[in-house]
Amino acid sequence: MKESPEYFGKRVAMEVMMGKLKILADSAKYDVSCSSSGVGRRNNGTIGNTHSAGICHSWSADGRCISLLKVLFTNKCAYDCEYCINRRSNDFPRASFEPDELARLTIEFYRRNYIEGLFLSSAVEKSPDYTAERILECLRLLRYKYGFSGYIHAKIIPGVSSEILHQIGLAADRLSVNIEMPSSKSLELFAPQKKPKQIFAPMRQITNSLIERNSLVGPGTMFKGKDINSPENYLGVQQISSETKGFRALSANVRKETFAPAGQTTQMIIGAGGETDQSILTTSENLYHTFKMKRVYYSAYVPVVDSPILPDRTTAPPLAREHRIYQADWLLRFYGFSVSELFNSGDENLDPDLDPKVTWALRNLDKFPIEINKAPYEMLLRIPGIGAISAKRIVRQRKVSAVKFDDLKKMGVVVKRAKYFLTCSGRYYGDRKFEEETIRNSILQMENGLQLSMFDNNWKQLEAEAKQEKLAAAGVI
Amino acid sequence: MDYIYDGTFEGLLTCIHHHYYTEKTTGISVKDEYQPNFLNRSMEVITDEIKTDIVYEAIERKISSYDLRRIYKVFLSCDPDKEMKILRYIELGFKKGSAVSMLHGDPIVFDVQSLEKKVNREKERMLQFVRFSVMKNGVLYAKIEPDHDVLELTAHHFCDRYRNDPFIIHDVKRKKALVAFQGEWYITHFEETDIPELSADENEYRRLWKTYFDHIAIKERTNPKCQRNFMPVKYWKNLTEVNIFGESYK
Repeated sequence: MKESPEYFGKRVAMEVMMGKLKILADSAKYDVSCSSSGVGRRNNGTIGNTHSAGICHSWSADGRCISLLKVLFTNKCAYDCEYCINRRSNDFPRASFEPDELARLTIEFYRRNYIEGLFLSSAVEKSPDYTAERILECLRLLRYKYGFSGYIHAKIIPGVSSEILHQIGLAADRLSVNIEMPSSKSLELFAPQKKPKQIFAPMRQITNSLIERNSLVGPGTMFKGKDINSPENYLGVQQISSETKGFRALSANVRKETFAPAGQTTQMIIGAGGETDQSILTTSENLYHTFKMKRVYYSAYVPVVDSPILPDRTTAPPLAREHRIYQADWLLRFYGFSVSELFNSGDENLDPDLDPKVTWALRNLDKFPIEINKAPYEMLLRIPGIGAISAKRIVRQRKVSAVKFDDLKKMGVVVKRAKYFLTCSGRYYGDRKFEEETIRNSILQMENGLQLSMFDNNWKQLEAEAKQEKLAAAGVI
Repeated sequence: MDYIYDGTFEGLLTCIHHHYYTEKTTGISVKDEYQPNFLNRSMEVITDEIKTDIVYEAIERKISSYDLRRIYKVFLSCDPDKEMKILRYIELGFKKGSAVSMLHGDPIVFDVQSLEKKVNREKERMLQFVRFSVMKNGVLYAKIEPDHDVLELTAHHFCDRYRNDPFIIHDVKRKKALVAFQGEWYITHFEETDIPELSADENEYRRLWKTYFDHIAIKERTNPKCQRNFMPVKYWKNLTEVNIFGESYK
C-alpha cells in the first residue's frame, strides 16, 4: 500500500523530532537537578498538578532519577566555557526546538505519565535575552495554550534582563541560576564570559521576589520557625523595583501572584578547579544564608571536552567525593551543622572513609554518649545512625513510654553505628572501649564491605536522602 | 473459632464484631484461601452492615480516624496474616486509645506500621510507574500489576491530574480497572478483551520517550544496581522505556 503524503509528512516530522531530542537531551544531561518537589498544586488548568514531595518516574542507566523532561532549548552556544560540552569551539551536533514543538512534546509525555513536567535549560544562542525570550514563549504556550498545570523548572541564563526573568518566574515553579564553579577564580578561568555579577544579580532578584510574595522557604530545616520573609532579609538595591518602589509599597495583587513557588536552586561542578571541600561547602553555606535557596546541587566533573587546564578525558568523575559533599550538605540543611563545625580539625577535605557525621562525632566524643530518653531532638539528630524520622519517633514514643534499646531498630535507627554514641536509660551498649580510635576502627571494619564497592552501594544512602527531601518538602519534618 | 469471610473490608469488620460478641477467634481467612483443620471449628461469617458500622465507629471513636485509615491500608496489603495483625492492633488500640500509633517499639504496632509502609510505598510506585497509552478514542489506558491492592489509592491523584482525559488503569492480576472521567471514578470488572485499540501515533511517542530515556544517562556514571534498586525489575514489564511495545510485541 502506498503511503499517503499526509502520513509521510507526519513521519518525517517525527524523525526530525527524534533527532532534536537526542541532541538536546545529550546536551542537558550534565545538569544535575531533576527534582519536582517543593510545591503542591491541584489542577487549576486543563491538565496536570504537582505533588509537594515530587515524583520520580524513571531511573536511567546511571541510576539518576528522571522526573522532568530535561532538555536544552538549544545547544547552539555563543559562549566558550572550558568545561562545557556545548562550548562554541566543540565540534558537536547542534539543534534548537521551536517553542510550540517542545510544549507539545511535554504535554504528550505528561499525558502518558512519563514525566512530572519540564526542566528547561539552554545554551546561549545569539544573546541571553534572545534565548530567554524563546524559553518564555515556550513556557507561556505550555501554561496558557495547553493549560498545563504540572511542574516547570527553568534555568536562568546569566545576563538575562530582569523583566524577562520576572516573566519566566511567573510561569515556572522553580528557577535556578548555575553558579557553575565554587569560586570566582575558577569561574574566571573556566567560564570567562560569565561574570559573577551576572550570576548573583538574578539570584538576588529571585530571592527578593519571593520575599515580596511572602513565599521564601529556605533550605531544609535551616530556617524553620524563623520569619525569613521580613523586609530585613531583602537583598540590596534592586534595579527592577522601579514600579514596586521597595518592599512596603507592594500592592496586594503582587503578593498574591505566584512567582517560582518551589523556590530557587543552583549547581556547581566538583573537581574541575582546585577547590577544597571546605571552600566548596563554605560557598554553599553562604548561598544558603544569603539567598536562602532551597538547594545547591553538586556535579562531579565528567571530562567531556579536551582542555589543557582541565582533568584529561581519561579521568574518572570524582563520584566518591561528590557523595561525601552531598552528605555534608545534608548536615547543613537538615541537621543544624555549620561548615566550621565540620572542619574544625584543620583538614580542608572531608574524610573519604567515613561519613561526615561520624567524623564529627568522633572528634567530639566529649559530647557523647547521649541519653536517648532525655536528650533534646536537636541532640538526637547529631547521633550517627539516627535521622530525622527516627529522632521524631523517639521523641513521640518518649511521651507515652520509655524507649528501650531493642526499640531503636524498629524505629529505623542504624543500631550498629548508633550504639557507640548513646545510652539507653543510663546503659551503654557499645561493645568496645569508649575512645576515638577504637570506635573509628569498628565502624570502618563494619562498613568495609560497603567501602570496597561504594558506588554499588551508595544508593542506600541516596535513597534515604531522597526520602528525607520528600518529607521535608511535604512539611513532615 | 476460625472465621471465614468474603474478603471485603466490611466482612473483616464483621468478623471482629463476632470476635468480641460471639466467640474469640483463632484465625480469620478469606473463603477461597481457607484450609480447614481439625483443631479449630470454623464459621462462615456473613457480612453484616450493622455490625460493620459498630466496629467502624468504635475504631474511629476509641482509637482515631488516623488509625482507621491505617487499618484500611493494611487491609489492602497482600500479607497472608493481615487480618490477625489488624485484629491485634485494634485490640491494643481499644486499650491504649489514640496513643497506640506512638508505641513504635511494640511488635503489634511494628507489624501494622511496616505493612502500611509497604502499601504506601507501592501506591507511590504506581504514581511513578503507571504508563498510559493514548488509545484510538482518546482514552488513556494503563496496565498495572501491583502486589498490594492499591488501585483505588491512586484514583485521587490521577483524577485531579487528568481531569479532562478519560482514563482506565487496569489491574491485570485482579481483573479490575479504575475508570475515570472529569473527576468522577469507579472500579469495575475488566478483562483483557475490553482493552481499546492504540491511537495512530502512540508508537511514535513511545519511541521518542525511549530515545530520551537512553540518551539522558551519563555513560561515565553507569550504575545498574542503583537503577534497579529504585525501579525494581518486577515493574519493568509495564514500563514503556524498558519494554517499549509491551508483551504483545513479538
